Amino acid sequence: MNTIGATLLRAGRRFVSSLPALFGVLVFTFLLMRVLPGDPAVFFASGPNAGKEEIEVIRRQLGLDKPLPNQLVIYLADVGRGNLGRSMMTGQAVAKDLRERLPASLELTLTALLIALVSAVPLGVIAALRPGSLVDHGVRLFCSLGVCVPTFVSGLLLIYVFYYLLGFAPDPTGRIDIFTTMPPQRTSFLIIDFLLAGDFEGWSAAARQLMLPAFTMALFVIAPLARITRASMLVSLGSDFVRTARSVGLSWWRIVVTYALRNAILPVITIAGIVFSTMLGANVLVEKVFSWPGVASYALDALLVSDYAPVQGFVLLMATIFVIVNLLVDLLYGIADPRATVA
Amino acid sequence: MSMTTIETSSTLRHTAFVLRGNPVTAIAAGGAVLLALMAILAPWLAPYDPIASDVPAALQPPSAAHWFGTDQLGRDVLSRLVVASRLDLTIAVTAVAVSFAIGSVIGALCGYAGGRLDKAVGRFVDVLMAFPLFVLAMAMVAALGNRVENIVIATAIINLPFYIRFARAEVNIRRNLGWVEAARACGESHVAVVLRFLLPNVLPAMAVQMSLNLGWAILNAAGLSFIGLGVKPPTPEWGIMVAEGARFISTGRWWLVAFPGLALMSAVLCFNLLGDGLRDILDPRMRT
Amino acid sequence: MARDLLLRVHQMSRQVFLVPDFETNEGTGAMSFEMSKRSLFAAAALLAVTLAAPSAHAQSRAETLRYVTGATVNTLDPNIPGSTREAFALSMSSYDRLVSFGRKQLNGKWVFDLDTITGELAESYAVSADGLKITFKLRPDAKFQDGSPVTAEDVKWSLDRCVSAPILGKAQLLTGSLTSPDQFKVIDPLTFEVTLPKPDKLALPNLATVYPIIINSKLAKSHATADDPWALNWTKENAAGSGAYIVETFKPGEQVIAKRNEAWNRGTPDKPAAFKRLIIQSVPEPATRANLVERGDADLVIDLQASDVQSLEGKGKLKVISTPQYNAVTFISMNNTIPPFDNVNVRRAIAYALPYDDMFKAALFGRGAPLYGATWADGKPPSGGYPIPQPIKLDLEKAKSYLKDAGMPDGFSTTFSFNVGQAATAEPMAALVKESLAKIGIKVDIQKLPDAQMSTAINEKKLPFFIEGIVAWLPSTDYFYRNFYTGKQRWNYSSTDNAELEKIAQEARFEADKAKYEAQGKALNAIHFDQMFQIPIWQAAQDAVMQPTVDGYVYQFTRQVDYRNLSRK
Repeated sequence: MNTIGATLLRAGRRFVSSLPALFGVLVFTFLLMRVLPGDPAVFFASGPNAGKEEIEVIRRQLGLDKPLPNQLVIYLADVGRGNLGRSMMTGQAVAKDLRERLPASLELTLTALLIALVSAVPLGVIAALRPGSLVDHGVRLFCSLGVCVPTFVSGLLLIYVFYYLLGFAPDPTGRIDIFTTMPPQRTSFLIIDFLLAGDFEGWSAAARQLMLPAFTMALFVIAPLARITRASMLVSLGSDFVRTARSVGLSWWRIVVTYALRNAILPVITIAGIVFSTMLGANVLVEKVFSWPGVASYALDALLVSDYAPVQGFVLLMATIFVIVNLLVDLLYGIADPRATVA
Repeated sequence: MSMTTIETSSTLRHTAFVLRGNPVTAIAAGGAVLLALMAILAPWLAPYDPIASDVPAALQPPSAAHWFGTDQLGRDVLSRLVVASRLDLTIAVTAVAVSFAIGSVIGALCGYAGGRLDKAVGRFVDVLMAFPLFVLAMAMVAALGNRVENIVIATAIINLPFYIRFARAEVNIRRNLGWVEAARACGESHVAVVLRFLLPNVLPAMAVQMSLNLGWAILNAAGLSFIGLGVKPPTPEWGIMVAEGARFISTGRWWLVAFPGLALMSAVLCFNLLGDGLRDILDPRMRT
Repeated sequence: MARDLLLRVHQMSRQVFLVPDFETNEGTGAMSFEMSKRSLFAAAALLAVTLAAPSAHAQSRAETLRYVTGATVNTLDPNIPGSTREAFALSMSSYDRLVSFGRKQLNGKWVFDLDTITGELAESYAVSADGLKITFKLRPDAKFQDGSPVTAEDVKWSLDRCVSAPILGKAQLLTGSLTSPDQFKVIDPLTFEVTLPKPDKLALPNLATVYPIIINSKLAKSHATADDPWALNWTKENAAGSGAYIVETFKPGEQVIAKRNEAWNRGTPDKPAAFKRLIIQSVPEPATRANLVERGDADLVIDLQASDVQSLEGKGKLKVISTPQYNAVTFISMNNTIPPFDNVNVRRAIAYALPYDDMFKAALFGRGAPLYGATWADGKPPSGGYPIPQPIKLDLEKAKSYLKDAGMPDGFSTTFSFNVGQAATAEPMAALVKESLAKIGIKVDIQKLPDAQMSTAINEKKLPFFIEGIVAWLPSTDYFYRNFYTGKQRWNYSSTDNAELEKIAQEARFEADKAKYEAQGKALNAIHFDQMFQIPIWQAAQDAVMQPTVDGYVYQFTRQVDYRNLSRK
C-alpha cells in the first residue's frame, strides 16, 4: 500500500515537473510555424480570382493581422480553454480533427507494436540463449535488415506485391473497406468495436486493412526491441538466481520463461514505451502511403501548406502522449520493481 | 609510451578476437570501408556524368551501356548512385559529428557542473524529446529552406538530446571518482578535467550511438526527400532517387527504386551492424 | 480454401445488405423486400453458393461511382476561402445554379462549352435587347433536398450573399459586372431579374460558375448568427441545396459519400443522375490511385502521374480520355521588374534557350498541347485566341545573340523555383532548364518550395524566375490578359505593366463586334510575343482514367469531374 502511494506521489510529481516541457513545446512550435516563410492566408486565398482582399479576410480570420506577442497570448489562452484553433485545410476545428484521427493512429501504432513485440521477444530470447552462434548473427542480421529500409519504400513494395500483384491484401485506402458498414462507435478502435458489435466479418475486414501498414511499421522497430530483449536476457541468464534454478534442476523451459524472461522483461517494457511514443509521431510516411486517416499525415499535409493550427495541435498532442507514456512506464516500473521508488 | 602501445595492441587484439567471432561485424566493417572508398573515388568510378540528361534515352532498363538503367531524364542511374554516396555520407557524418560535438560537450559540462546550468539544459532537452522528431525535422527544413546545410542542421538537432543525456549521465557517474579528484587536485581546471579526462572516457560508449545514428541520418534524409523536402535537383542523393523511383514502381520500372534502394539499405545496414559490433567490442558486459 | 471461400461469400452478402442504407428515403416497401433478400443471402452464404452473391454485390457496386483523388474536399460550401477544387466539384452536384454550361466535342472529346448556356434551376432566361436585363423563369418543380420549393427569394438571398459576404464568389462575379444586391430583383416567386450597369458578355457565364450556388435560404437563415449573417459556418459543413446528390458522410481529408437525389431532374433528358451513390475518397499516393483503378476497385481518377497514365493506356484495359486543359496554361515565368529580367532581350534569350521538346517528353510524357514551335507565316499571330502556340523553339545561337544584345554575353546567375506539390513534373523540367541555360552561361540555382511558401513568394513578387500555371473558368482572350497581365496582384506572375496591353484588353472586354475582338486579340498576342513577359510552354492534359463501363465523362471548366455527367454502360 505504502509503495503504491509513494509511486503515485512520484508520478504526480513527475507529471507536474513535465508541464514546463509541454509549455516549451507549445511556445516553440508556435514560433517555428511563424518562422515558416509561407503565409497560409496567401495559400488558401487561391481561388481563381482571389486578390488582396481575400488574403486580408483570411488573415483576419486566422488572427494573423495582430502582432506576434498578441497572437501568442491569444493562442495560449485558447489552448487553455481546450480550443486548438481551426484548420484551414479541412475547415474543421483542430481538436475535433485530432479526436477523430487519433484512434486511427493509435490503433495502427499499437498493432504494429504488438506485432513487433511478438516477433522481437522470441527472437531476442533465441539470440540470447546462444550468443555468438549462427542463430544469434542471423537474428541480428534479420532485425537490422528491417531497420534499414525507409518505411515509404517497404510500404509501397508491400502494396505492390500483396495488393497489386497477388491481390491478398485489401485496397490500401484507409481503415476499412469503403463498402463495409462502420460498427457502432464505442472505443473508436475499429477492431474492438467490431468485436463488441459481434460483427466478425467486419472485424476481419478491419484487421486485414490493418495488416500491411502495421507490418510496415513493425519491421522498423523489431530491431531495438529484439536487441534490448537479448541484452537483458543475457544479464538475467547470467545472474545468480538462474544459476540457482539450474542447479536445482528445474526444467529448461521453466528457467528460461519463468525466471529469466520474467526478470528480463522490464527493460523491454521501458523501451517499448519509448518506441511507442516515437512511432506515433514518426509514422507520417506510413500513414501517407496507406491513406491512413491518422494524425501524423494530417500534420504533414498541414505543414506543407503552412496551416499553423493543425501542426501546433499535433505537436502538442504528441508531446502530451509522450509525457503520459513515460509516466505510465514509470508507474509500471515502480510497481514491478519497488527499488525504483528509492532511486 | 610503452604503456599505450601495450594498451593499443591489446585493444587491437581484442578487436580482432571479437571480429573473428563475429563475422557479421567484420562484413559490416568491410562494407563501410567500401562505401567510404566509393564516396572518395566517386568521380572516377562513375561511367557517365551524373547530371547530364539524354531525354531520348530515358527510362531504359538495365543494359550493357547502362548497368542500372536510366532515369526519367535519361541519366545513368549507376553514375548517379555512385556520386550520391558522397553527399549521403557527408550528410550523415556531418550531422552526427555536429550533434556529437555539441551534445557531448554540453552534456558533459552539465553532468560535471550540475546546478542551474544542468537544470536549464535538462528542461531544453525535455522539450526537444517531447517533440515528434520527424515532424520537427520537417518543420525545420521547411522553415530554413531545403538546402543540404539545413538538412544536416535539422538532423543534428533532433539527435542532440540523446548525446546530451548520454554524456551527462556518464560524466555524472564518474565525476566523483578518485582519479577525477586526483586530476583536480593536480591543479587541472574544471574545463580541462571535463574535456581531457572525462569526455574521452565517455567516447567509446558514444561511438555505438554514433554508428547507429549514421544509418538513421541517411534514412531521415530519405524520408525528407519523399515528402519533397530533400536536396534540390538535379543533385544526386539516394533518398531522392528512391523517392523518385518509388513513383515508378507501379509502372514496372523497378530499377529506378531497386538500385538506389539497395545502396541506401546496404549503407544503413553497415552502420547499424557496425554499431552493434562496436557495442560488443566496447562493452564487456555484453561480451558473454 | 473452402473456409476462405465461405468468408468471401459472407462478405459479399453483407455488402448487399448495405444497399438500403443509402436508399432509406424509398419508403418501407423496400424494407420488407430487403428483409427477404437478407434471409435469401444468408442461406446462400451458408451453402457457399458462389454464383448468386457476387452478382447481387456487383449490382450494388455497379450503381456506385467510386472516385479517388489525391486532393480532398474541405468544405461543402465552395465559397469558403480556402476551398479546394474537389470541394468545387462536389458543389456542382450538391447544389444547383441558375444556369449551366453546355458541352461540345473538341477533337473527338467532350468538353464544356462556354457559348452554350442552358437552364439549371432556370427553366428559361431572356436577355433584353439592350443587354442590360436578364430575366430568369424558375422551374416550378424544383425542390431543395429537404423538399421545400426553390423560389426567387432563395435565388435573391443566395446571389446577394455571393456579392456581399466575404467569400470567394465576390471576386468572381465582379468579372461579370455583378457587384451589388441592388442588381438582383424578385419579380414573382418564379421570376427573377438581374440588371447590369452595361452589357457584359461574361455576366451570364459567371452565373454558371462554381460560386453562385442557390441555397435554401430559409434553412440557412435559421443557422445564421449576428456574427455570421450569411451562415457561412453552417454551410461549410452542411449542404442546403437542390443538387443531384445528397451528402451523407463528409469527412474532410478522408471521404465524402453522397446518395442520389431522386427528385432531381436537371440532367440532360430530365432524369436524375445515373449513379445511385457517389464515393469521393482521398488517396494521397498517386501510384496507389493507379493500382486502384487498374484493379477495378476505383471507377475513375483524374490526377494520375503521366507515367502511370502512359502505362495504363498501353495496357489497354481501361478507358483513358486525355483532354488538353484548354482553359489552363503552364508558364516558365519571369518577374519583369527584377533585373536582369527587366531586360526584354534577357527574356527573349531565355525563351530561345529552353529545351521545350525534352521537357515535354520527360516531364509530361508528351501528354498535353505544346504552346511552342509554331510557325507564324508573316511573323504575326494567326489568331486572337489565348493562349496560342508561339514561334519559339530551342535555338542556343539565337539565345546567345539576345544575351549579347542585353549586354550580358557571359550570362548571369539566378534562382529558378517551383513548388513541391508540382514536383513530379516540375523537378525534371527544372533539371533540364538548368542544364540548358548553363550552355549560354546562365547559372541557375533550383529552389523547391513548399506550396504555401511558393504562393507567398509569388504574391510578394520575390521570385525572379519560376514555373507556375494559371487557369480561367471563363477563358476568353481579354479575360486572360486583364487578369494575368495587369495590376500589382498575385496572378500577374510576370509583373507586367504595359500601358498598351492594358488599354486594348480593357477595350476588348466590352467589345461586341466579333471581328474587332479578334483583331484586338491578335494585337495582344503580338505584344505578348514581342515583349516575352513570360513563356507559355504548354497546356498539360487532363487524363481521366476510368473503367471501360464508365460513360459520359466531360472535361469541365473546374478541371474536375462533374459527377452528374457520368453513367455506367
